[in-house]
Amino acid sequence: MDLDTVKERAGPRQFSPKDDMPQEYREAATRMIQFHANSEVMGGYLEKPFIRQAPSLDRKLAFSAKVQDEIGHAQLLYRAAESLGVKTRDEMLDELAEGKGKFLNCFHYPMKTWYEVPMIGFFVDGAAMRRQATLKSTSWEPYAHAMDKVCFEEGFHVKHGEDMLRELMTSSKANQERTQEAFEEWWPRVIQFFGPVNSQSTHHGFAAEVGLKTKSNDELRQAFLNTYIPKAERYGLEIPDTPEIIYHEDEGRYEVVEEDLDWDQFWTIAKNDYDGSYEQIGSRADRQEAVEWVREQMDSYETAHSGTAPQAAD
Amino acid sequence: MSLDGPHSLTPDERDAVEELLFRMADDEYVAAERYIEWQIFAPTLESDLALSNIAQDEFGHARLWYDLLQDMGYSEQECIWERDPATWTHSTLVEQPFEEGDWADAILRSYLYDTAENLRMEALVDSSYPPIADRVAKVLAEERYHREHAQSWLERLTGGEHHEKVQAAVDRLFPYALTLFAAGPNEDAIVELGLRTENLDDLREEWLEIVVPFLESLDLTVPEPDEVALPEETGRDASHTDAWFDLYEDFTHTYNELELEEPIRLRGEG
Repeated sequence: MDLDTVKERAGPRQFSPKDDMPQEYREAATRMIQFHANSEVMGGYLEKPFIRQAPSLDRKLAFSAKVQDEIGHAQLLYRAAESLGVKTRDEMLDELAEGKGKFLNCFHYPMKTWYEVPMIGFFVDGAAMRRQATLKSTSWEPYAHAMDKVCFEEGFHVKHGEDMLRELMTSSKANQERTQEAFEEWWPRVIQFFGPVNSQSTHHGFAAEVGLKTKSNDELRQAFLNTYIPKAERYGLEIPDTPEIIYHEDEGRYEVVEEDLDWDQFWTIAKNDYDGSYEQIGSRADRQEAVEWVREQMDSYETAHSGTAPQAAD
Repeated sequence: MSLDGPHSLTPDERDAVEELLFRMADDEYVAAERYIEWQIFAPTLESDLALSNIAQDEFGHARLWYDLLQDMGYSEQECIWERDPATWTHSTLVEQPFEEGDWADAILRSYLYDTAENLRMEALVDSSYPPIADRVAKVLAEERYHREHAQSWLERLTGGEHHEKVQAAVDRLFPYALTLFAAGPNEDAIVELGLRTENLDDLREEWLEIVVPFLESLDLTVPEPDEVALPEETGRDASHTDAWFDLYEDFTHTYNELELEEPIRLRGEG
């Protein structure tokens, strides 16, 4: 299929491994899905220490299940990315360990306290939900299919995140203050989740033309702010003064003053070159290396046992 | 003979029921608290998912048994969050820390523990305390899966280049595993009242009859059980290794920091 035909036919779930897709499409889709899959893994790195910190048995169970779901999502997404025939899962996981794989800006900031946990669990996941919901109508069918399950589970995660926020904001004054502090730290990062305005986005044009993306970053940011500013306020959080957010009452929309956000830091993160990037990616590389022997052993076991009894397989 | 629910027990019966329940709940809770260390860090995405499942099953079982203690008047705070760590009665097998990357330890520990857990649950199917007997079936089904998971991993990890890692785990963990069968102060009453239909010595024998031949079939050397000196800390008399006190401090850190009114219960969790 040539590129013009792709653009002409682009629509929800239009293309699948049965179609002969041009290289440009396959590479763009791989880049997008790999980024998404990497983000699931690296989000897990951020949240994992807090399974142990959960302050009730039910919370702990729910949080452990959440972290497990993220790995499940990564598994689905790498499969959807592999189906484009550009990279294998192992190649993508190696790139992640080597610091070449890209992932969401918010997951480059290690968390230190429980007060930060709902910042990811409610706001970042809420932002991710917005984007993921639109990807149910992406043009690469395996990606859209993965989104059906991911969005279903993310719905529970966001609810749980919201409940953690509610619990903190209805507890002691000290807890409320520390939650507000965490919110102030995370709020600019969460807004940057949606990236720069369209004109600055490198890949948006093509991805939109071939139906991989169905909504622009601006539209997604707008929808997020419309929903989450009132929610934050309802739980007693104060929206920080910086970045300035102007509410246009006549249009019912919020405008973020872009210059108030630290784009140098954003682009440093995009290159995996921020301090937190090294910390998070380094942690992944170390952990992966520590169990390299297990993967080697699995490979040699497979080799030794394949062919001996093909009838007995599966 | 069958006992009634929690409210008509004599003081002696109550002591025996509590000891049995705390042993089970603490084992499951602490085992799971260690397993979650592998979440995100497991060798592959698939093994990560499987071990996470096991951890959540064990937390779920812990909750079943703590719930029965709560029916007897304890709160979740008293069972877990504000309980003196020097009164927990889990086996010291499950509190042992993992060395980084030591997947062989995680798998062997699960095999030793889950094999014992299967036997323990089978000995509770006809418990004279109905609230226990009612809950065993669910636990048993899940523990069988855990044991099969560990067995199939052990088959893959042994006999190759990294065989020694599994052997090292056997050498280190086997003495601690024997503490699973160490008695607490009310053991005689537990058996006499029919709370558990087998005594710990018989369970130990049955466990050895399964575990030793299986490990030996994988060319692992298992210490002669009767010559193994039990660790000084068995857990069953509430004596514990230092690692447990560190672990307890770690998992109660946020609970203590937040000072919430009570640990939250969420509905709809299996």
